[in-house]
Amino acid sequence: MSLENLILLTGRTINQGVALEGGKTTKENVRAAAICTFDTEDFKKLDIIPGTPVKVSTDFGEVIVYSTISEEGPHPGIIFIPMGPWANQVVNPDSQSCGTPTYKGMKAKVQVIKDGKVLDALELIKTLIEV
Amino acid sequence: MAVKKIKTVYDVVCPFCGTLCDDLEVDVADNKIIEVRNGCQIGTKKFFASNPSEHRYEKPLIKVKGSFKEASWDEAIDKAADILVKAKRPLLYGFSSTECDAQSKGVELAEILGGILDNTASVCHGPTILAEQDVGVPTSTLGEYKNRADLVIFWGCNPVHAHPRHLSRYSEFVRGYFRKDGRNDRFIVVIDPRNTHTAQIADLFIQVNPSEDYELLNAIRAILRGVELDEKEISGVSMESIKELADKAKSCNFGVIFFGMGLTQSLAHHRNIDAAICLTRELNDHTKFLITPMRGHYNVTGANQVFTWNTGYPYSIDFSRGYPRYNPGEFSSVELLLKDQIDASLMISSDPASNFPAASVKNMFKHPLIVIEPHQTPTSENADIILPPAYAGIECEGTAYRMDSVPLRLRKVKDAPKGILTDKEILEKLIEKVKEKKGE
Ligand code: SF4
Repeated sequence: MSLENLILLTGRTINQGVALEGGKTTKENVRAAAICTFDTEDFKKLDIIPGTPVKVSTDFGEVIVYSTISEEGPHPGIIFIPMGPWANQVVNPDSQSCGTPTYKGMKAKVQVIKDGKVLDALELIKTLIEV
Repeated sequence: MAVKKIKTVYDVVCPFCGTLCDDLEVDVADNKIIEVRNGCQIGTKKFFASNPSEHRYEKPLIKVKGSFKEASWDEAIDKAADILVKAKRPLLYGFSSTECDAQSKGVELAEILGGILDNTASVCHGPTILAEQDVGVPTSTLGEYKNRADLVIFWGCNPVHAHPRHLSRYSEFVRGYFRKDGRNDRFIVVIDPRNTHTAQIADLFIQVNPSEDYELLNAIRAILRGVELDEKEISGVSMESIKELADKAKSCNFGVIFFGMGLTQSLAHHRNIDAAICLTRELNDHTKFLITPMRGHYNVTGANQVFTWNTGYPYSIDFSRGYPRYNPGEFSSVELLLKDQIDASLMISSDPASNFPAASVKNMFKHPLIVIEPHQTPTSENADIILPPAYAGIECEGTAYRMDSVPLRLRKVKDAPKGILTDKEILEKLIEKVKEKKGE
């Protein structure tokens, strides 16, 4: 199952903020920020239960996160990943020469990957280190 | 059983977000935080996170063959200074979660090194600063909004999540001198692509298409000038709603726009803020209207202030020619990292591995990395040297600037772990060592 032509937004959430402080390498951070929230109707189309891993892909990368239903809907066609290392795998690094990357508004698609592994922050960042 | 002696510190300033609440009460026993009153969930967590834990560093660490080993301050500072002096283009980044004196030392170190100096504004409200430099800004302190504002617009920001007590202290529920009935005396508008928790408690929610705020801002400006737009909707918002908003804005006594990263981090970046400031200015033809950015980290505003009074520029500064040059499109941390144009970095109380786009993080890890950071982060765990500081605003005093540029004095509520230095002391030691190595 998959959804195409979505728009990905990222931003702060209070859970992500709480997890930041002293717990960036913990499961708490995974629960807070390794998630993608969907509009209720979009989520129905995926035909899964909340918590099922999904792969979010944009022109800039892909990441596996847990799916969940948005408390801040309706927002059909929009998905949201809290700011943090997971979101940053798929944001647009380009700043159009103003210095600030484009963290919001990427075209995205989502694919259900039932047995997908959601990495924790340290595992995820390790994938960026060349040895 | 011995009774623990509890010390209560009053009027503590919360060193987490730009709201910089200054009314916290913190109970300390045995040099541990045991209770925090008045703080929001996030602020409270930060105080508790300063207690000893497996996530907190209490000794300088140096990476040897892939694993950290404890080091003395002298050894760690010496190694760090070596890395910085050898580098041709070191990046000094972070600074928003520390106090102003440490920031000022950061400027000094960057200048001596001929490096790049940047703070977290370059990934959040940098575009706000660019727009303010272009068109100026009609703004005020939060107290004025509290006492006077009867129309509050939150555009592309979600304070319920990001600045939890902003609404109750300054902008929504709070009673003010001319707003005696608090929330009932204010009309609250939220403009956002999502029906955020802030939107759910507003009087009017305008759902704008993602990345189309610029069009909406300019449509409102056109309507204010009496231009009839031959469209049914703009940016997904019906013409009736836009007119209703324009009427509300014209007819209030005192309006304010608070905006966040919904405007600065979407495609139009500083052009959004430019349009929002111009809209605010034009509304002053009809009534009183002001605008204030919702700054994130508690002292990111201070970082901009300190950098500016030292160098003339607020962020993304290059010292490689011996004098400061400013060009965020060229010298912002993410731009430099994307082009792989740095060869060492010093990250001060910041976690770029988590906060920068993946492509730039990859390049950061190619080069030596030093962090000044009190607890484990994905950046620190992959660093070469960790210099653990005291928590500014919890374990040492200092000054921080609130989002409206009001400086407040941070308090010390408990002692840092034994042997731990403050950010400022660490930077001073680095400056001294770097000077020594450069033969100055
Ligand atoms: S709103 Fe911000 S400053 Fe106030 S207690 Fe919460 S985190 Fe701290």
